[in-house]
Amino acid sequence: MSAPTEVLGPGGTAATATERPIVDAADLNVWLTRDHVESHVLRGVDLRIAPGEIVGLVGESGSGKTVLGMSLLRLLPEAARPRAEGRIEVDGVDVLAGSEDTLRELRRHRLGAVFQDPMTSLDPTMRIGGQLREVAGSDGDAIELLEAVGIPEPRRRLRAYPHELSGGLRQRVMIAMAIAGEPRLIVADEPTTALDVTVQAQILDLLSTLCRDLGCSLLLVTHDLAVAAQIAQRVVVLYGGRIAEVAPTEALLEHPRHPYSAALLRSRLDVEMDVTRPLPTLHGDPPDPRDLPAGCPFAPRCEFARPECEIRLPSLDPAGPGRFDACIRSEEIDLRPKRVELEPWVAPPVDPEAADALVAEDVQVEAGTASFWRRGAPVKILNGVDLRIAGGECVALVGESGCGKTTLVKAVAGLVETSGGRLDVGDKSPQMVFQDAGSSLTPWLTSRELVEERLRSCGVPRAQRAERVRAVFAQVGLPAWATDARPAQLSGGQRQRVAIARAIVAPPKLLLCDEPTSALDVSVAAGVLNLIGRLRRELGMAILFVTHDIAVARLIADRVAVMYLGRIVESGPATTVIADPVHPYTKALISSLPGTGGRIKLKGSPPSLFDPPSGCAFHPRCAHAREECATRAPHIVAVGDARHEVDCVLAEERG
Amino acid sequence: MAAVEPVLRSGASLSRPHRWRLVRHAPLSDKLALGTLALITLVALLGPTIAPHDPLAAVGPASHAPTWQYPLGTDEVGRDMFSRVLCGLQSTWLAAIAVIVGGVLIGGAIGLVAGAAGGWIDTILMRITDVFLALPASILAIAVVAAIGPSLFHTLLAVSILWWPYYARLVRAEIRSLAARPHLEAARLAGVGWGGRLWRHLLPGAIPTAVVAASLDVANLVVLLAGLSFLGLGAQPPAPELGSMTATGLSSLLTSWWIPVMPAIAIFLLSLVANTAGDSIRDLMDRS
Repeated sequence: MSAPTEVLGPGGTAATATERPIVDAADLNVWLTRDHVESHVLRGVDLRIAPGEIVGLVGESGSGKTVLGMSLLRLLPEAARPRAEGRIEVDGVDVLAGSEDTLRELRRHRLGAVFQDPMTSLDPTMRIGGQLREVAGSDGDAIELLEAVGIPEPRRRLRAYPHELSGGLRQRVMIAMAIAGEPRLIVADEPTTALDVTVQAQILDLLSTLCRDLGCSLLLVTHDLAVAAQIAQRVVVLYGGRIAEVAPTEALLEHPRHPYSAALLRSRLDVEMDVTRPLPTLHGDPPDPRDLPAGCPFAPRCEFARPECEIRLPSLDPAGPGRFDACIRSEEIDLRPKRVELEPWVAPPVDPEAADALVAEDVQVEAGTASFWRRGAPVKILNGVDLRIAGGECVALVGESGCGKTTLVKAVAGLVETSGGRLDVGDKSPQMVFQDAGSSLTPWLTSRELVEERLRSCGVPRAQRAERVRAVFAQVGLPAWATDARPAQLSGGQRQRVAIARAIVAPPKLLLCDEPTSALDVSVAAGVLNLIGRLRRELGMAILFVTHDIAVARLIADRVAVMYLGRIVESGPATTVIADPVHPYTKALISSLPGTGGRIKLKGSPPSLFDPPSGCAFHPRCAHAREECATRAPHIVAVGDARHEVDCVLAEERG
Repeated sequence: MAAVEPVLRSGASLSRPHRWRLVRHAPLSDKLALGTLALITLVALLGPTIAPHDPLAAVGPASHAPTWQYPLGTDEVGRDMFSRVLCGLQSTWLAAIAVIVGGVLIGGAIGLVAGAAGGWIDTILMRITDVFLALPASILAIAVVAAIGPSLFHTLLAVSILWWPYYARLVRAEIRSLAARPHLEAARLAGVGWGGRLWRHLLPGAIPTAVVAASLDVANLVVLLAGLSFLGLGAQPPAPELGSMTATGLSSLLTSWWIPVMPAIAIFLLSLVANTAGDSIRDLMDRS
C-alpha cells in the first residue's frame, strides 16, 4: 500500500534503511467478535518501528490502538475470537504464523509490555519479589531491576504486595518486569493514564531514558497527543481502524496534514487558550467499530469532507519526508493550527450581590479505620476546608487523586457526612454531574424516565413533564430519539449530556461537577466543557468543578482552588493563580501543562492519608521546604489580591 | 443527521422486542432447552385434560406391560400408568414452581430490605436468615409434616418455609453491590425518595440474578419434593404423585418393572429439563 522504506525515512529517526526494523506490519487487518457481531477493528494498517525508536500511537476509544498494540504481542483476547490477516514481523519473527512456543520465546526474551492499570496486571496474591524473580531469575537481578526503574529501598519492596505500593511505584514495577529480558521492543498501553499528573511525567521520563539506555524501541499507545508528543520521535494517528496520519512529532504539531490530527491538536488545552470563547469542537462521536462508514471514517465529522470522501476509503500516501496521510484533500486544505474565531462568551453571571451559592467553613470529614484486631484512629479526609462560592460563580477544585476533592463535593451534595465545620448551600439542594456518566445513570431506565423523575420530585405536574424533557434535551444538544434510549445505547458523551440534563432540568443554584470530562475522548470532552460553560451563563448557576487538569480549570472557572491532602493550599482568581502561583505545589501542577516552559518535577508520590506528614503536608516533596515546615502547619494568608489565599510559609512572608 | 441515523436504527430495534431478539439469536441448544421447558410446562398444565384415562380408576388388567393401549402399562390395580404419570407431572411441576415463586418473593423482599437498609436492620434480617439456613431442609420438612400430618399442601408449606433464605442472601448481595454504584447517589440527589430508589433503582437490577438462580433451582426442588413423597410425606396414595408412585410400586420392581420405573423416569426427565433450561436462561441473561 505505502512505500515502506519511506516510513523510516529521514524524518523518522537516525535509523538507516539497511537496518531491519523491529516492527514491520503490513496491510494488517484484524476482526474481533463481540456478542456474535464481528467487527473489522483494524483495516489495512502499516506500521514500522526502527530499532531504538519511540513511536506514539494516538487514537480515541474504538480507534483500534490497543488492538494494534496487542496484535504485535499476539495477545488479543481469545474470547473475542480474533482473526488477523496481513503480516506482522517483530524482530524477524512472523507473529501471525509463529507457533505458540516461538511466540512465548519472543515475548519472554525480546518483548516487554506495560499496561494502563498495574493493579490488575500485577498478581495481587504474590509479592513483588516473587513476580520479578519469575522474569529476572534471582533476587539480585530483581533488586537491580528495581534500582534501574528508580524504586527507593528495592530490597524492602521485594517483600511488598502490589496493593502496598502507590500507583506510580506499581507502574515502575510493571516497567521493571517489562525490561527484565532486555527486550528489543516495549509496548506500553496507556501507561500513564491512571496516574496523577505529577507522577505521569516521572514515568514518561523513565520510559524514554530506559529505551535510550537499553537501545530498545517503544510503542507508546495513548489517547493523549500531548503524552505522545513528550517522548515520541514519531506519531501515528489512528482513526476508525485506519492510520490517518504518520509524521515526525515536531512536524505533526506544527503542521498536521489530516483534518483529524488538526482537530486533536485544536482540542488540546494549554495555558495560552483563549478562555473568553467556546472551545473549537468536533461534532459527533468517534465511529462505532461495528458500524464503520464505507468511505473515510472521519468524513462524517470532517468540515472539509466532499461527497467523494464518503464513498472511497482514502489510502495512506507519502507526503514529504517521513510523512504519510490518508486524506484526499490534504494538499489543498490548510490545517495549520489557528485560532478559530468563535463567538465569545458573554460575561460569566457572577453576582456578588446575590447570596453565596456555597459557604464552607472549616469543614472536616473523617473516616473510621478498622483492622481485624482493633479500631484504628479515624483518618482525616478533609482537614479544615474553607471555601466560598458566590452566586453564579464557577470555582474549579484542582488536585491529585486522594487529595479529598471528590469527598468535598460529596459533602457539599450531602452524600458524605461532615464531622465538623459548617456547610451552607442555601435552600435549593445542589445537583451533581458524576465522573462516570455510565454508572451514574440507572442502566434499566430510559433517559426520559430519569429526567422526568427529577421533575416529579420538584413537583412539576405530569402534563408539563414531556415538554420540559423535550426542551432540556434540545438545550443540552441531544437528539430527540435519545429520550427513549437506555444508557447502554448511548455514547459516552451522550450519557454525560443525559446526566447534565437531569441535573439542570430544574435549574439548581449550585451545580457540582466531579471530573465530568475525564472519562471522555478528547474530541468529545471539549463539547461537554462548552456545554457546561454555556449552561452556567444561560441559567446563572454557580458551579463547583472538580478536575485534576489545571488547563480545564483555567478554561472553565472564574476561581481556582488547589487541594492537597485534605486542605485547600491555594485559591484565587483563575488567571492570577495560573499566571502567578505562590504555593510550590500549585507551581508544580501548573508546570505540567504544555507551553509553560520548564516542568517542575516533584519527588515521590502523593502522601497517604493514613500516615500524613507532620507540619505542612507538602513538605516532603517541596523543593523550598525548610526545617520549620516539618514541625509547623502554615496559616492561610491573603496574597496581593484580596481573594488570593495561600497556605504556605513562603506566602506568610510575602503577604 | 447522517451520523445520527445508524444509532437511531440500532436504538429503536433494541428497545422493546429486546428479549425476543435474544431468544431468536440464541444458539440451537438453548432454543431446544427452552422449547422442551415450554412443552413440559404445557403438558403439566394440561395433564388431567389430555390423560386418556381416569388416573384414579382401574381401567384395565392389573400389572399389564406397556402396550399401544396403555403406553406405560398399568399398575397393580389396573390404573393407566400414562394417565397417572401425566397427572403426577402436573402436581410435582406446579408444586416446585409454587415453592420457588414463594421463595423468591419472600426471600427477595427480605434481601431487598436488608441490602438497601444496611446497618442493624441488615444484621438482624441476615442473622434470622442464617438460622433458617442452618436447619437441614429435608429433616425439618419431615418434622413439620410429622407434626401437622402428611399431605401435599403441608409438605409445600414446610419446604417453602425453608426455601427463601437462599434467595434472601442472593438478592441482598446483589442489592449491596448495586447500592454502591453512583447511580443511587445520583437518584438521591435527584430527589427520589427511599421507596422510589428501592423500587426503581435497585430492585430491577437484582431480578436477573434471582431469575437465573430460581430457574436452576427448580430441578433441586423437583427432586426434593419427589424424595419427600417417596418417603411418604407428600400426597397420599392413591393420588397420582411421582414420588409416592415410585415408592408404592417399588415392591413390584422385579415382577412388573414399569410400575416404579416409569414415574422415576418422569422425575429424571423433569429435573433434566429444568436444569438445561435453567442453564439456557442464565446464558440468555448474561448476554442481555
